[in-house]
Amino acid sequence: MQQQRIVYDDTTVRRFIFAAVVFGIVGMAVGALVASQLAWWQANLGIPYLTYSRLRPLHTNAVIFAFVGNMMFAGVYYSTQRLLKARMASDLLSNIHFWGWQLIIVAAAISLPLGITTSKEYAELEWPIDLAITVIWVVFAINFFWTLAKRNEKNLYVAIWFYIATIITVAVLHIVNSLALPLDGLKSYSVFSGVQDALVQWWYGHNAVAFFLTTPILGIMYYFLPKAAERPVYSYRLSIIHFWALVFIYIWAGPHHLLYTALPDWAQSLGMVFSVMLWAPSWGGMLNGLLTLKGAWHKLRDDPVLKFFIAGVTFYGMATFEGPLLSIKTVSGLAHYTDWIVGHVHGGALGWNGFMAAGMFYWLVPRLYGTKLHSTRSADAHFWLGTVGILLYIVSMWISGINQGLMWRATHADGTLLYPNFVETLLAIRPMYIVRFVGGSMYLVGFCMMAWNLWKTARAGKAVDGETTVVVEEAKAPVPTATTAPAPGWVQVVTGRPLVFAIAILTVTMFLGWAKPVRALVLMGAIIALGELAWIVTRKDREAGRPSWFALIEGRPLAFTVLTLVAILIGGVAELLPTILIQQAVPAHGEAQKPYSPLELQGRDLYVREGCYTCHSQMIRPFVAETQRYGDVSRAEEFIYDHPFQWGSKRTGPDLHRVGGRYPNLWHYTHMMDPRATSPGSNMPSYPWLAENRIRVKDAPKKLSLMQKLGVPYTHADVDSAEARQKSQGEAIAADLATQGVQVAWDSEMVALVAYLQRLGRGPQDVPTPPADVAPTASAAGGQEGGR
Amino acid sequence: MSEKSLVKHIYDGIEEHDNNLPNWWLFILWTTLVFGAGYWFWYHIAEAGPGQLGEYAAESAEHAQRMASNTPASDDLLLKLVKDPTSLEGGKAVFQANCAACHGAQGQGLIGPNLTDGFWLHGGAPMAIHKVVAEGAVAKGMPAWERTLGAERVKAVTAYVLTLKGTNTAGGKAPQGEPEQP
Repeated sequence: MQQQRIVYDDTTVRRFIFAAVVFGIVGMAVGALVASQLAWWQANLGIPYLTYSRLRPLHTNAVIFAFVGNMMFAGVYYSTQRLLKARMASDLLSNIHFWGWQLIIVAAAISLPLGITTSKEYAELEWPIDLAITVIWVVFAINFFWTLAKRNEKNLYVAIWFYIATIITVAVLHIVNSLALPLDGLKSYSVFSGVQDALVQWWYGHNAVAFFLTTPILGIMYYFLPKAAERPVYSYRLSIIHFWALVFIYIWAGPHHLLYTALPDWAQSLGMVFSVMLWAPSWGGMLNGLLTLKGAWHKLRDDPVLKFFIAGVTFYGMATFEGPLLSIKTVSGLAHYTDWIVGHVHGGALGWNGFMAAGMFYWLVPRLYGTKLHSTRSADAHFWLGTVGILLYIVSMWISGINQGLMWRATHADGTLLYPNFVETLLAIRPMYIVRFVGGSMYLVGFCMMAWNLWKTARAGKAVDGETTVVVEEAKAPVPTATTAPAPGWVQVVTGRPLVFAIAILTVTMFLGWAKPVRALVLMGAIIALGELAWIVTRKDREAGRPSWFALIEGRPLAFTVLTLVAILIGGVAELLPTILIQQAVPAHGEAQKPYSPLELQGRDLYVREGCYTCHSQMIRPFVAETQRYGDVSRAEEFIYDHPFQWGSKRTGPDLHRVGGRYPNLWHYTHMMDPRATSPGSNMPSYPWLAENRIRVKDAPKKLSLMQKLGVPYTHADVDSAEARQKSQGEAIAADLATQGVQVAWDSEMVALVAYLQRLGRGPQDVPTPPADVAPTASAAGGQEGGR
Repeated sequence: MSEKSLVKHIYDGIEEHDNNLPNWWLFILWTTLVFGAGYWFWYHIAEAGPGQLGEYAAESAEHAQRMASNTPASDDLLLKLVKDPTSLEGGKAVFQANCAACHGAQGQGLIGPNLTDGFWLHGGAPMAIHKVVAEGAVAKGMPAWERTLGAERVKAVTAYVLTLKGTNTAGGKAPQGEPEQP
């Protein structure tokens, strides 16, 4: 038996905090800029790199991965070392993790404004950066699990469970969603297409929220909240139930982003019911946080740290109530594509993530520098400024979203649309865009005050590293094992009653997927019986004082990690596998889909580059109000060659799925040069550079042959003739525009984008073939639009 | 004594109690689980409720019924509307909101053809104009408006367009199509 002194690595924690604060300011400032652009379209100053559609991904990525990411790492590094009574395993890995992550952020900040993007929301970064993320994440994982292996504390505290779930799930999500074939160093295409790509993307997108913005912050809450309140955590039992329910259920909820789309009904229903079932597990975390403060509420009055934590947890409770609500199909029918969703995520991001971060920083920085917080009054002011900012933000987005959703579907008595012109619905919500900008800016000002306050605090003190002493005993007996038979540990793990019951219930539930009503009722009865039995047995075991299975696995990180991995894989596999295996090339309407022409493919890449999907959907839902406005309901088979899908998630502008053939080429040209020329009141940016820039003509065959590899049925002749076909289609469009006095080069980006837009929602069989045999100039004879 | 029994674990000074789960929380948990199972049973096992395309079919049928109450357009009806100032006022508003961007505020033609000269690509008779407005001219980039605007507004705007005929606004776009045969 000997004493061992352990000095924690707090340098890494300080660095991560510094980075989180800096990138927090950057990410939120970009957010304020794009918010202002929605109210005043001129705010992009006509610079391509500052257009809304390119900056919005930068805002989301910066806030999620740079701000919350760095904050999370700071919290994880600080608390993990103390909860395990061990210094992080490797200073080298900690360094690689920190600097690697910052390099990734810088790469994102450069590439996204340049239009280098995959267009998959919150995963826009292109493949070289994706690879770097994978490597750095693995470095983090190794460092973390190695520290677990070296720990001086037998059992794992609930915070560590959440960190484990975060590390493995984010790895799984990131790798699957980023699967793509590269065209060159800066461009790749998702291996999935259409419906499959949409499902994979939102399985990722939703769980990025779950496992990047929620679980790690819950872990942080479980450490820092009781520390700051100096009160015990309310309930271990609640921790167990809400942790396992959360990791198991969360992963199923992705399809709630795709309600009423072309996703099969069964997958939508799974997304909806699992989202509703998430309500209680989510609130379990909130409860454990709020009830931890029992008996310490008076401290709230003068401790800014607790104010931030409690408000943060409350916003978490609000967002996790709103989430299930929005996942109910009827509610989603109204709210989807509107600002309500934007308000919802900001309630989470600003209220939960931002306030938990602020609370953690205000608590940590004085301790990391061995001093007191520079100004409590400033922190209080930050709190109130932030709170009012959030409220302005989310209330304005509620009003705006519900208002616009109702206007889209409002009809006259005879069933015709009350507001047939989309711009009308946009102008109605413009005041709310201004309020939102004000609210967001207030929040940013508060955040900057925090940065100043933390800076002053750090300057007043000196960096100190925490330390502890542990008693190292040789061969200390592990968890209190059963007194009778010393069965090997892994046997105890796999024969544990909770696990056996869980497997039994899951097995029975699986058969529900194929059951007819009568058998299904029997199965459901069996599930209830099993659940009841599990309940009774657990109580009996507890009363008898038998060792808990949960305590057992909490002492075995490997078993714990494997079980968490299994729990998150079940939902993912159950939803993704059938959708990916489905035979989707079957044409429902007689004629098979034809792949995009080379020029349309080039135009599609420009649609992706400019980020059109950030404001325009390509998915008409099965509502009469929607088909009146946009055209026939979108069908799954129409998207089979869409690598990646472009369904979008927000309609700041109208849906574009059936815009093809609706307007003349000149309309599109005029609209791109100045959207207000064709749609007075529009807040869309102008894209005049499209008329100047040229496409890379030589890329066409490369793109086609890459698409071939992804399963798009181009023949080799198609690939060989790609450049020629591209030219003839481009010349036809340019000639059509020329007859009306507009001169653009056939290989300009404008022509390619127009070709793509004119193709949207129609098979190429419907598009008048660009006449290779008829000289394009001949078409001028028939009048402005050519033709006969 | 009671305080001591509450403490389950201590990690880095953080005490962990093991309180019972609040009943109202358990109620939410069980209710949502039962709801989830019930929803799945109803729609996907018993198939007692319609899928989303079934819902859409029902909504479309109801919509078609509402639309059927409209009187169909005819030359006579449109000419009558030309003399109805209320209808023309409405038609003008529809024109300014939806048509002016392409045909000009006075109908002088911009992206789309001049509507004030005597030349027509698809004929200048009331019902010929109505057909183009309602169903569009896809090859020429004229959208079909009846779907979005509804039958009444299409009739009103057609009547308004009829009043533009022959106004020959100065600075209008060059004529396209055929002169109208009387």
